[in-house]
Amino acid sequence: MKTRKLFRIGVVALGVALATSMASAQAYNSGAQTIALNATLAESLTLSLSANSVNFTLAAGSAANAGSTNITATTSWVLKPGRTAVGVYAYFGNAAAALTDGAGNNIPSSAFFIADNAGASTALTNTVAFGAANGGLQLANVSITGANKNASRTDVMAFNINLSGGTLPQLPAATYTGTLNIQAQATP
Amino acid sequence: MSWQAKFGRVVVGLAVMLAVLASPLRAQVRNSGASTITLQAVLTDSISVSLSGNAVNFNLTAGSASNPGSVGVTATTSWLLKPSVGSVNLYAFFSNSAAALTDGAGDNIPSADFQISDNAGPFAALTSTVPFGGANAGLQVSSVKILGNNRSGTRTDVLNFNINLSTSPNMNAGTYTGTLTIQAQAI
Repeated sequence: MKTRKLFRIGVVALGVALATSMASAQAYNSGAQTIALNATLAESLTLSLSANSVNFTLAAGSAANAGSTNITATTSWVLKPGRTAVGVYAYFGNAAAALTDGAGNNIPSSAFFIADNAGASTALTNTVAFGAANGGLQLANVSITGANKNASRTDVMAFNINLSGGTLPQLPAATYTGTLNIQAQATP
Repeated sequence: MSWQAKFGRVVVGLAVMLAVLASPLRAQVRNSGASTITLQAVLTDSISVSLSGNAVNFNLTAGSASNPGSVGVTATTSWLLKPSVGSVNLYAFFSNSAAALTDGAGDNIPSADFQISDNAGPFAALTSTVPFGGANAGLQVSSVKILGNNRSGTRTDVLNFNINLSTSPNMNAGTYTGTLTIQAQAI
């Protein structure tokens, strides 16, 4: 009888001890404090050139008057959702007078050729997103997918002036200067 | 015996009787019953976190591992604990590890790209499952052992933030927002 009583007391004591230990293992939490985060990834589209001048030593009436150097255009972009393409364009401000001697003698954009990345040499005769009507050329068109929203592209441009067409064989000796523009556009 | 002598004896006798009777009456003390007042003083346990700021901005560079937050935030944890508590832990967490920050158009920065440096220590990403927040979306910022001498105490954690985009180079340009939560637990 005495042993049973002692056993009962032991069980009760064990229960109390267990309950106490469980209660003490309970976590006690502070209130939650929040920090508002705002991260901006700005949209960007840039184009840089390896050089900014090209010289030509012209031969009257010749179809092949290569530029002194090639120029590499590097186009880099980080785009917003919805953009589907990046185009790279070369253009003049005036199709009839891409280069001029300032005395009324001009080399038209149709006589100016660019070969992009060793491709075919093509005259600047299109109306593109920038520049004059019939004074441009689309060098490249990159489709934008999920894999290239942030990417870059290089276009190595080789230049030529073709003086064989029309009245160009009769071009007077002079120094002809002009400005070729290279520009990229992300659409839509 | 003359009447004066008789009278004197009576007076003396009365005086003696009065003196005898009066002296024990004056020495008796009468006490009330004892009434008790039960006293109870409660020192409530508490734990709280306060932040020095509640907003951090980031100017992101695509593909860059280093995009630090505009400002550090100091978390001050204060506690007053019961003797049974063994430690106080501070946690930082997001509710969703896959979309810690989002542009709302399906483009997200995961918590794995979000890093915290505590008290100028190394940056660590929020990739652990902690008592609060989403699975794999948290970080234990600090842990303080509670001993006899710091059951009441405070701790400051200076949190600096970084977003590492080196593993997410093809993110869309946009504004990404999110909520980082800081919370302490005594256990």
